[in-house]
Amino acid sequence: MTSNPALVESPTIEVDDVSKWFGQKVAVSNITCSFGPGVTGLLGPNGAGKTTTLRMLTGLIRPSQGDIRVLGVWPRTKPSVYSNIGLVPEDAAVYPEMTAREYVRYAATLAGVSDAQAATDRAIDTVALDDAADRKLAGFSKGMRQRAKVAAALVGDPQVLLLDEPLNGTDPVQRLHLINLFQQLGDEGRTVVVSSHILDEVERMSDRVIAIVDGRLAAAGDVAAIRSAMTDIPYRVRIETDKSRVLAARLLEESLVHGVSVDDGILHVETDDLAALGGRVPAVAHEVDARITTFQPEDASLESVFRYLVRKR
Amino acid sequence: MRALRSITGATIRQVLGLRRAIIFGLAAMAPALVFLLTSQALVDEAALDRFLGMVIGLYFPLLVPIVALIISASALGDERRDGTLSFLVLRPIPRSVISGSKFLGAVLVAAGLNALGGAALAIVYGVETGSWDVVLPLVAGGIVASIVYASLFVPLGFFTDRAVLIGLAFVFIFENGIVSALSGLSTLSPWRLGLSTFAALVPDQVASQLVDIGIANLSGLGSALFTTVVIAALSIAATTLVLRRRDLA
Repeated sequence: MTSNPALVESPTIEVDDVSKWFGQKVAVSNITCSFGPGVTGLLGPNGAGKTTTLRMLTGLIRPSQGDIRVLGVWPRTKPSVYSNIGLVPEDAAVYPEMTAREYVRYAATLAGVSDAQAATDRAIDTVALDDAADRKLAGFSKGMRQRAKVAAALVGDPQVLLLDEPLNGTDPVQRLHLINLFQQLGDEGRTVVVSSHILDEVERMSDRVIAIVDGRLAAAGDVAAIRSAMTDIPYRVRIETDKSRVLAARLLEESLVHGVSVDDGILHVETDDLAALGGRVPAVAHEVDARITTFQPEDASLESVFRYLVRKR
Repeated sequence: MRALRSITGATIRQVLGLRRAIIFGLAAMAPALVFLLTSQALVDEAALDRFLGMVIGLYFPLLVPIVALIISASALGDERRDGTLSFLVLRPIPRSVISGSKFLGAVLVAAGLNALGGAALAIVYGVETGSWDVVLPLVAGGIVASIVYASLFVPLGFFTDRAVLIGLAFVFIFENGIVSALSGLSTLSPWRLGLSTFAALVPDQVASQLVDIGIANLSGLGSALFTTVVIAALSIAATTLVLRRRDLA
């Protein structure tokens, strides 16, 4: 058992001290991690470096520094390894003049699948796209395109599946179907890496998370550990009340409150335990006969949470 | 071979949508139509003069380059712009098959359209004069020029969105301007390689008429074909190298 939560025992994908910069801009900085069978969430806010990382894993772009191995090789040096890698890119990547069936069949043919037609039918069925399979991709919604791309990635029966924000644009039903599909693929022993900027989404489909912020590895491990790491983040809450100063003075007596300030009549409260504060404030307000009109956590976006994790490392 | 056939087929569909097929099909017929409208009362030598005027004034310096460069620039350029290049390069196929297929697809469409235009023009001339021995030379010339333009503009389309603009500048400023003034540079002009092929294959009487109207310093057939093959091979090799070496996203 490895002690570093960013590494797994039997990796199919190894990322060793990888950095990527575009001119002066550093997109990914000194990331070391690995991925093995099962579903791993690649989590981070928009612009964190998730897409760049996935593109490096596939060999679409080469690292400025460090080594990447997928199934033991750097894919770009050995194209045959692509028969075992499927990528669902976030951007367009579909041929609008083709029908979904033609698109998936094209992928099957290029993957060297022996019975391309049967594999195409299976893949389309797997993503539940049968009804729209003979319509041109140009007329597809984003969610349907995503499913067509997933089918094209699956048609070659790859061992490694890299999915860049695959749930973007999907409706709740499609989303649930795809999440179940990814879990099933992971349970079958495939390495499935799913990038997302939504923690709840990742939590629903993967047990393990690699979190990236500003191109750096922010956290790694199981979802519970990431959740736990987030519980001690100091939160700031905005409270609008008719008696801000009175309420501020009373709240300072509470042990869960670390600090208060009043700015233009608006009360700002700092706490480690957002949920407990939410439960306590109405009672305290009642004591001092204050009327609360707004109770709103500030600075609690996923991005700020991630940034906190980066600082903590 | 399956991959080569599939990518070539997809490229043909990609670069020749219905609208483009109609527009380029009509454009390809333009020299034949203009010749038909302007050669009604002409006979023998005058008809040949008018026909050659169409060949060296409209077909080779305008139709062939414009069709070939627009088609060729989109063969790989559209894949890059639409984000579908990642779909192609992440398949277990050598990059040389990808570059070869893109080149082949562009050549088949561009050469096909230009051959159609050349054949139509030569057939109209044949119907009016009874002389059919210019059909194959003109088709061959159009194909040779199309191959050279594809060799230049398939890779250029990968590098820049302005490949068509650069191509038009190349044709109108360099080929139709500078090379026309400095005939020593004629081997650097793709459409003149096509014209050389045409001139080498037509009967002597037509060839001497070409000389009479000032078309000289053309490469011989062997030289034109050799140059074409070398440029095409270099183009495929360069595109393969670029697909292997460059970041593709």
